[in-house]
Amino acid sequence: MAEEEFTDINGNSISLECHTHSSFCKEFTVTSPKLSLRRVMVITCCVWLFAYAVFFFTANTAVLSSAIILTLVGMMVHIHFVKVDHETLLVIGSLGVQLSSSYASGRESTTFIEMSKLKDIVINEAIYMQSIIYYLCILIKDPVDSEKVSSVVPLFQSSKPRLNCLVEVYRSCQEILTESR
Amino acid sequence: EALPFRLQLKIRRSEMQVNSPSPVPERAIYGFVLFLAAQLGFFLYLLWAVVPDVWLHWVGLTYWPQKYWALAGPVYLLVCLVVCFVLLFGVNMINTAPLASLHNISDAFSRSQRVDEDHAAVIPRLRDLSISEINQKFYLTQTHS
Repeated sequence: MAEEEFTDINGNSISLECHTHSSFCKEFTVTSPKLSLRRVMVITCCVWLFAYAVFFFTANTAVLSSAIILTLVGMMVHIHFVKVDHETLLVIGSLGVQLSSSYASGRESTTFIEMSKLKDIVINEAIYMQSIIYYLCILIKDPVDSEKVSSVVPLFQSSKPRLNCLVEVYRSCQEILTESR
Repeated sequence: EALPFRLQLKIRRSEMQVNSPSPVPERAIYGFVLFLAAQLGFFLYLLWAVVPDVWLHWVGLTYWPQKYWALAGPVYLLVCLVVCFVLLFGVNMINTAPLASLHNISDAFSRSQRVDEDHAAVIPRLRDLSISEINQKFYLTQTHS
């Protein structure tokens, strides 16, 4: 079980934990930085100051209460649906691959891909916003023609690690995948 | 039958000259005519914007747009230009394939390419390599880092 510090594409520090359960089972967990309290307070203060300024000019108290409700609901939605705490990739040779994202509120969303559907796990480069990034992805086989790729599942989407982290995960995965083919 | 070498060169050069961006007398004439027409158009626009309606009616020119458009037209055009810049950026971002799209891995040409048998003494056909192969070469061998 090794834990290392890396950075993501925006420069924030993330950590990768590699857990080798056995020779054909490995688990990789990428942990994103936690929700920053300072940032939450700054955003809340800005929203409330703006609402107070609007109230000062319009003298309508509904502005203040709606700003409070908006901040609370926005924070809950962000924690439950947007902010990812850690993402896990569990590779079990000859059985399949499990991807799971755990959100800041504790919610977990899991996907399982069978080994017979999985063609390969590769590092691909693609245009994302205004730059080109490396990302790890799973190539899914076409059910009809096993040489063709029918779809692509990108991994570690919320934490977006850089190439050095991806190469480590790729090398470990390939050890298991070459044995299980 | 092969044409004599000098004739081949002349044909190739004349074919190439059609597409070159070099300054040529015809282009200078077109440019100057365009410049004169633009100056004339601007002068006429100023005339229409400044001359009172009464004088225009007295000469006989009655069916012109309202004077409001002398100011509104240029403003609309400039706002349109700014929106076009923003829209172009947006259209580019919409057309970029998302990370989960198959277009980042292969496209119609790479799927339908011909793979010839491997002959020893022959240079192989130019083709797209599969991404698994490229990944193994780059990331599994220790020479690249």
